[in-house]
Amino acid sequence: MPSVPSTEWIAGLVSFLLTLMVFSYLWKDNALFRVAVYLFVGVSAGYVGAVACRQVLLPRLILPLLNGDFLAVFPLLLGLALLGKLSQRTAALGNPSLALMVGVGAAVAVGGAVLGTLIPQVQATIDNFELDLTRSVSEQILDASTFLIGTVTTLVYFHYGARPGPRGPQRSRPVAVLGWVGQVFVAITFGVLFAGVYAAALTALIERLNSLRLFLGL
Amino acid sequence: MKLRGLLSTVFAMAFGLLVLLGYFFEVQPFYGLRVVFVEWAVILAGFAVLVGLGNLVTVHIKKIRAREKGSVYGLLLIFALLMTFLAGLAWGPDHPNMVLLFRAVQFPVEASLMALLTVSLAYASIRMLRRRLNLFSIVFLGTVLVVLLGTASLPLLGDVPFLGDWVRPFVSQVIAGAGARGILIGVALGTLTTGLRVLFGADRPYGGK
Repeated sequence: MPSVPSTEWIAGLVSFLLTLMVFSYLWKDNALFRVAVYLFVGVSAGYVGAVACRQVLLPRLILPLLNGDFLAVFPLLLGLALLGKLSQRTAALGNPSLALMVGVGAAVAVGGAVLGTLIPQVQATIDNFELDLTRSVSEQILDASTFLIGTVTTLVYFHYGARPGPRGPQRSRPVAVLGWVGQVFVAITFGVLFAGVYAAALTALIERLNSLRLFLGL
Repeated sequence: MKLRGLLSTVFAMAFGLLVLLGYFFEVQPFYGLRVVFVEWAVILAGFAVLVGLGNLVTVHIKKIRAREKGSVYGLLLIFALLMTFLAGLAWGPDHPNMVLLFRAVQFPVEASLMALLTVSLAYASIRMLRRRLNLFSIVFLGTVLVVLLGTASLPLLGDVPFLGDWVRPFVSQVIAGAGARGILIGVALGTLTTGLRVLFGADRPYGGK
């Protein structure tokens, strides 16, 4: 009697087929690749929806309402109004809910930018000049100076202020020179990020090829 | 300004400013209000996910009804979405069956798409060298080579001395660290400006003008 394939084996087979279907894109954009990608988008979207219901709406809204927390009525009404965005005729009903999200999001972003980025990053640039007795002084000065110059010139590179000149709006000479140095720092930074992404992509490729090999029992 | 538009602006400004006060003054009632309002925003984000899913399904149903080219893929998407959504609602996202679905569909497709990047990124680098050869593209690609060669051992040669010990750490930790810090501070300044414009009603990206 033939043995029934296990769910693990079926999952492995689906994974194997989907990997090949995605890799078929290397040949050209084709129907198999599209099937894999649309299936992926559908499953991912459904999963995110289930997570939103089970891990956000149920514990934070439904259960408090069932337990008599009437403060939860307000987000419930706003949430129902937000569902009005599904139709063009009722879309305007959701604007106040959207406004609340945008307002709170802006406040969280401002708080995060000041307390989580600006102050700690400026402080870290200053702290680089504190002497560490375990390292050589010249090495520390080189590192700290590079950090300071790189940070300042990168910021100058993103400064778009210009004055009218004979050949149209132009940056002042010092800003242009500092911006040029900043551009070199930005190019190096993006180069390092690119190398990181490339290394991650190579790791994924090796992992996928290895999974194909293991499924085939090679 | 219409009454409904005014209400939206008042909502954004009032709730946003109260949350902002709660960030900088961790005393009651500001701190308590901040916690409650952020909680409400999270709940609304949950509803927004459902609106997004509804919109995705609607768009594909319209395409199927119009018999547009490739609408059969939309049918597959809707089927997969509804099945996963209902299964996730019934079992919960942590159930072994959902984990199996993740391992069978999401992980392999995601990892394979990531693997495709090795080809597309290499192709993009070559195109950049051919079409836009200047100092900055050479610095960019030179950095990529230095970091990759300094990170991995080469066949037959092994680790490249000096490159892996000194050049790569200096480039990736100090020079790129400095550039990244500048970019981060720039992004934070941009976020601060945009956020304050929203909080003071100068920008109204929620349906008002």
